[in-house]
Amino acid sequence: MNGPPPEAAVPALEARLTVTAGDFTVTSEVQLREGVLVFFGPSGAGKTLTLQALAGLLRPREGFLRVRGEWLFDSERRVDVPAHRRRIGYVPQAHALLPFLDVVENVRFGLPRRERRADNPRIRALFEELGLAHLAHARPPQLSGGERQRVALARALAVQPRLLLLDEPFASIDREGRAELRRSLREALRRHGTPAVFVTHDAEEARVMGDSVLRFVRGRSVECGPPGVVLPRGPSVAVSGVAAGTPGQRPDGSVELALGEATVRGPASLLRPAADGRLTVELPAPPDET
Amino acid sequence: MSDARLFPITLSLQVASLAMALVAPAGLALAWVQARRRYPLRSVVDGLVLLPLVLPPSVVGFLLVVVFGRRGPVGAWLEAVLDVRLIFTPAAAVLASSVVALPMLVKTAQPAFEAVPPELEAVSRSLGLPPWSVFWRVTLPSAWRSVLAGLVLAFARAVGEFGATLMFAGNIPGRTNTMPLEIFSAYQAGEDARALVYVVVLSSLSLGVALLAARMTGAVEAR
Repeated sequence: MNGPPPEAAVPALEARLTVTAGDFTVTSEVQLREGVLVFFGPSGAGKTLTLQALAGLLRPREGFLRVRGEWLFDSERRVDVPAHRRRIGYVPQAHALLPFLDVVENVRFGLPRRERRADNPRIRALFEELGLAHLAHARPPQLSGGERQRVALARALAVQPRLLLLDEPFASIDREGRAELRRSLREALRRHGTPAVFVTHDAEEARVMGDSVLRFVRGRSVECGPPGVVLPRGPSVAVSGVAAGTPGQRPDGSVELALGEATVRGPASLLRPAADGRLTVELPAPPDET
Repeated sequence: MSDARLFPITLSLQVASLAMALVAPAGLALAWVQARRRYPLRSVVDGLVLLPLVLPPSVVGFLLVVVFGRRGPVGAWLEAVLDVRLIFTPAAAVLASSVVALPMLVKTAQPAFEAVPPELEAVSRSLGLPPWSVFWRVTLPSAWRSVLAGLVLAFARAVGEFGATLMFAGNIPGRTNTMPLEIFSAYQAGEDARALVYVVVLSSLSLGVALLAARMTGAVEAR
């Protein structure tokens, strides 16, 4: 159906954009070969503005944008493909669904009329894939936040975009729901071979979602690279002492080492003394290996 | 009822319907532009739209004569180029009704369009809908109750137009004597019974329309 793109050598996304809204200007350089690029940074750093410019919802003051080698914007040559012809999907944080349509109608919303019929097999597959089959005829106000975002995702994927833009899509979802949604999203993107840009200010989310991360600071994109390099380090502990034997690897991936005389320093959450007096120190794995 | 008696009723309904055919597209377009676009003279346009609502009808009528009369800039042009004379015709009544009805629709539809989350429209564009489809499939269905209420109010205003019509279209029996004008004529002639017929027709029409509008705006608030 929607296998890997035919020209995998052409980058999914290349852009250099200067976007101005009111008296705020953001300058960015964006590169994405495949997979998921995370826009990471505090709110007000310019992530959303850049995303809207990629979608064609805002006209950049200058710069260029290419998706799979196709020019969608170029200030010098006056190229500016309108949003509805870019085939770039967009999922906002909220207000994504049409409240007066049910779930199926929402998912089919972007399809040409002849493909909007009820038994479209591609749509049925999307429903199965995202666990929406039982909600087909529910209305958006009846759905939970997580369900709504699943529907929004299904609808964005239904029109087979070349690139998907997600603006903090899980920001208003509770913790457990968020983890599950991230998993669904990653799986769906991989299965459809859809490259994506994912905006978040949450370092943990950036680490889980991103194949690469572009960091924004005060209106500039400053650093691009693998999550482990670009993202701030998580909490860690330092342990010193005399080892009583060799470190043992446990099935869950953590390392256990018995110490004779030990000094251990670190956040309480990382140190859990066991009943037998031995100490297990769980060091967070390097982020780029998860 | 004799033809002469019936005429003001059918004329009024025709004038108001034609006025609505002008006001509906113009008013919705104007409401949308004012709700969604930022441009230099936006606040001036906002004020101009409101003008027919706040000005005395006789002033609106006078201004219409000044602009569209035989010696007015538009009126003279129409007569010279298209050989069309507007003043003292049923078409003038349509124009007068349109001008006073327009603000009712714009002022009801504009806040409703503003209340549609911009994300909904943005998402729809990213799904491949051209701007026109976004309006028909997203903006209008989201705001339809208020739009309908606005149309109903505008119709009520159009069908009841008196002052501007009197000055611009005249009060010509069998030609421009709409119901409100006919009430005035009958009363002047001391024919209260004749006036009462139109009073009853107009009142029931306006009352029905007002109830309809109240129900629809009530439904908007209840959501």
